[in-house]
Amino acid sequence: MSAIVCSHVDKSYGATTVIHDLNLSIEEHEFVVFLGPSGCGKSTLLRMLAGLEDISGGEVSIGGRVVNDLEPGDRGIAMVFQNYALYPHMTIFDNIAFGLKRQKVPAAEIQKRVEAVARTLGLEPYLARKPTELSGGQQQRVAIARAMIKTPKVFLFDEPLSNLDAKLRNHMRVEIARLHQSLKTTTVYVTHDQLEAMTLANRIVLLKDGVIEQIGSPAEIYRQPGNLFVAGFIGTPNMNFIDVAVGRKDDRWALTGAGTTFSFEGSGFDLRGVDRAVLGVRPPDLKTADAGDSTNLLQGTADLIEFHGNDALVTFACGGKEVSALVPARECPALRAPVRYTFEEESIHLFDATSGVSLRRQEKLS
Amino acid sequence: MRPYRIRLGRLVGKTILALAGFVAVFPLAWTALNSLKNNVDIITRVPRLVFTPTFDNIAYILGRDSVMTGLYNSVVACGCAVLIGVVLGLPAAYAVARYPNRFAGDIQFFVLSLRFLPPVAVAIPLMVIWLQIGLYDTLPALIVTYSLLTISVIMWLAIPAFQSVPKEIEEAAFVDGYGAYSVFWRIALPVAARSLIGAVAFSFVLVWNEFLIALMLSSSNAKTLPIVASELSQQGMNVPWGILNASVVLLSLPPLLFLGVLSGFLNSVFRPKKT
Repeated sequence: MSAIVCSHVDKSYGATTVIHDLNLSIEEHEFVVFLGPSGCGKSTLLRMLAGLEDISGGEVSIGGRVVNDLEPGDRGIAMVFQNYALYPHMTIFDNIAFGLKRQKVPAAEIQKRVEAVARTLGLEPYLARKPTELSGGQQQRVAIARAMIKTPKVFLFDEPLSNLDAKLRNHMRVEIARLHQSLKTTTVYVTHDQLEAMTLANRIVLLKDGVIEQIGSPAEIYRQPGNLFVAGFIGTPNMNFIDVAVGRKDDRWALTGAGTTFSFEGSGFDLRGVDRAVLGVRPPDLKTADAGDSTNLLQGTADLIEFHGNDALVTFACGGKEVSALVPARECPALRAPVRYTFEEESIHLFDATSGVSLRRQEKLS
Repeated sequence: MRPYRIRLGRLVGKTILALAGFVAVFPLAWTALNSLKNNVDIITRVPRLVFTPTFDNIAYILGRDSVMTGLYNSVVACGCAVLIGVVLGLPAAYAVARYPNRFAGDIQFFVLSLRFLPPVAVAIPLMVIWLQIGLYDTLPALIVTYSLLTISVIMWLAIPAFQSVPKEIEEAAFVDGYGAYSVFWRIALPVAARSLIGAVAFSFVLVWNEFLIALMLSSSNAKTLPIVASELSQQGMNVPWGILNASVVLLSLPPLLFLGVLSGFLNSVFRPKKT
């Protein structure tokens, strides 16, 4: 049985529609990440699941029960907020116990459960303190403890790590992943950080302007982006895009653009009837070309080199288009040196130039 | 050169601070001293710091029935008005801050507009109203009138105080299963308490010092302390300075006590726990 089902969900503020006819079903024990640029409606959607925003149209059910008209407290959910939202006038103990007190749990049991949760999250020394006396990471852990203790059917996380510094963020990300492994509670997690999405999610729901662009496992979304937006949004450094004209030559597809012609067998793509397309290739898929390579070359003069440690990102202009290649640092060319890169046919992506939809054959997407 | 400059800047700063502090505190201290002096010690050309203290002035003030009645009237009228202001004003402010409807802006403007008119313009119609109802020169009339002031001041100051409570904290309580009223009691009120107590204290001081409306709405029974104190100076050419000063001290004590209690309460609530 699905833990959360959204069917034909709409959200509008007056005349502005934020979410339009959204359908989504989340399985039990799943870790689903809502990913998208700011303003795409991902937080609004999460808040609608939580009951903090009205649902303008459609139906949301949690655990098989329609929750459209239920108060947040009756939905069997627990939520962790971006700015922790701890009660500043209560001790850590009271913060964690606040929800249980509402449920009229006996004091002795509250004590036992708070201590157990505090032990799991390493909060035991801080139970008597106030939130302002804790560091950001500790406060976030209290917020997670407050959500955990209610043993909810669903955890909702609203950008929980974006207020932490980079190092702590990595640490907390691992903790959240471990927590989900041990508790197996269905989790919906909102973020704009694709690293968090890629590392935590079982499935990613990629949103843009209140519409789902693609749903899939991190690997699917990375390897088979369904359209130009997904391809451009996922992956660091960004995918290179080259506008090409589609033609046939010697029984192969000939794609002309960026001052050169690429030649593909093209079995993975459905190019019939398409005359303009966008060729996408990720910087790590560009390989330094051997002297003997003569097809599918991208060449130019290296005009920017960013050193990443193991790798270096080489940016060069190719037929008036800026292209980047991520190469091992030892192969890194000198600045202003001529560079030649090539790529395998398997690593390319092709999109329709007008609709932006992937031209990949459907059967391969399954 | 640099350390010297910093030291000079600090010196100038501290001097200005000390002067400002002196200007603020000296008149109060001098008044308190004068209330302990005989008239001879007050009207001498050379101000005297050393003198034989006398409690005659204070005894005279405390011994007069009119002063005690005034004190009673002031405490009851201001206390009740502040209480009504808290009971009605705080929930109203919370409602405007958190559940704004299309009238929220108008309500805020109306509340503020209650303080636009000069008090005398309000006092005359109010006097007529109370005369007609037959409540002129009674404490209930004064309490209701002062409540208008306290409610508007408390609302005006409490709306931003409630708005500054992070919304997520209240939402977290909703997710924890609490309803709107519990969230108001258990979250919004305690979190905003610091600013709210300031608002309540300000409204108290405002009505405690109120003179004009009290003058218009009372003739004998409901006179408040400021009215009684002002009458002490109307005793001909021979101004009883000592008694006047003593009445000023008496008039200043309740707000000071009130603020002292409040700030003590604030400290006990918000002092970080040492572990």
